[in-house]
Amino acid sequence: MASLVTWVLALGSLTVALMLVSYVLLSLVLIIPTWRICTRAGFSGALSLFHLVPFIGSFIVMGMLAFSTWPAGEAAPRR
Amino acid sequence: MGIEIAALASFFGLTGAFALVGTVLAAWMAWRIVEKAGLPGWTGLGAILLTLTGVGTIVPLILLWIFAFMRWPRDEAAPAGSFGYTAPRGGAPTTGPVALSGPPMALPDARGWRLAGTLGNGGTVSLSVAGTSGTYALTGAQGGAPADLSVPDPSVGRPHARLMLSGQRLGLEDLGSPGGTFIDGARLLPEHGPRDISAVRSIRLGSVELTLSRA
Repeated sequence: MASLVTWVLALGSLTVALMLVSYVLLSLVLIIPTWRICTRAGFSGALSLFHLVPFIGSFIVMGMLAFSTWPAGEAAPRR
Repeated sequence: MGIEIAALASFFGLTGAFALVGTVLAAWMAWRIVEKAGLPGWTGLGAILLTLTGVGTIVPLILLWIFAFMRWPRDEAAPAGSFGYTAPRGGAPTTGPVALSGPPMALPDARGWRLAGTLGNGGTVSLSVAGTSGTYALTGAQGGAPADLSVPDPSVGRPHARLMLSGQRLGLEDLGSPGGTFIDGARLLPEHGPRDISAVRSIRLGSVELTLSRA
């Protein structure tokens, strides 16, 4: 019985670890381009790590880029 | 059974409402981001709205990568000599033997430029730039060289920026003063080089907003 519990716990831990690794790998697809966008805008590239925050992380990064003055300069508004 | 169905329906309704608000918010922010990079705002909006179509999230993801690594119009410095005025060759094309011929060349606008604004101490400043060519230094110092345009305010550097006049075009270049130079609210940095400001409404030197108009 004890070995069964141990086996189930080990399987659960492995599943959670695999899910976490998959989540980080999928987040990298967003983090890498966002890192470059942030640095080109003049912000720290680490801002893109907000993508790791589930659900609202992407909105935080986009909000920072959209509503703050870019330290590296912005294009003149089109009219 | 009815309660469970109602609960499920309201749950999915709420989820749908959140998704709708999130999509609209993301589209608005994407519009602003791409505009800051110098691209048309609708490209960012379109990229987000693509998630609502059959292509799912793959295409917007590819567009995100393209946007991150592409050349942004913001980074394109004005090419050297781009402020020169080039008269069109010959006249306007005629459309037939009975049509009147066009003018030999476009008549240049002989008006100068005027920069006017209010200083931090409540005083006003009005600068005029005449002629068809020349380089002027915008400086916070008073009584400098003849080519200096004085904006006597503590927030304006000495010199602060450079104005370049060539033909009918006016250029502005930031010289790295701490107060910063802004074109219609957008920050201009020294590495951007000279920018054509012939069509802008105002520039800001430090805390002094100057309205640009034809004299």
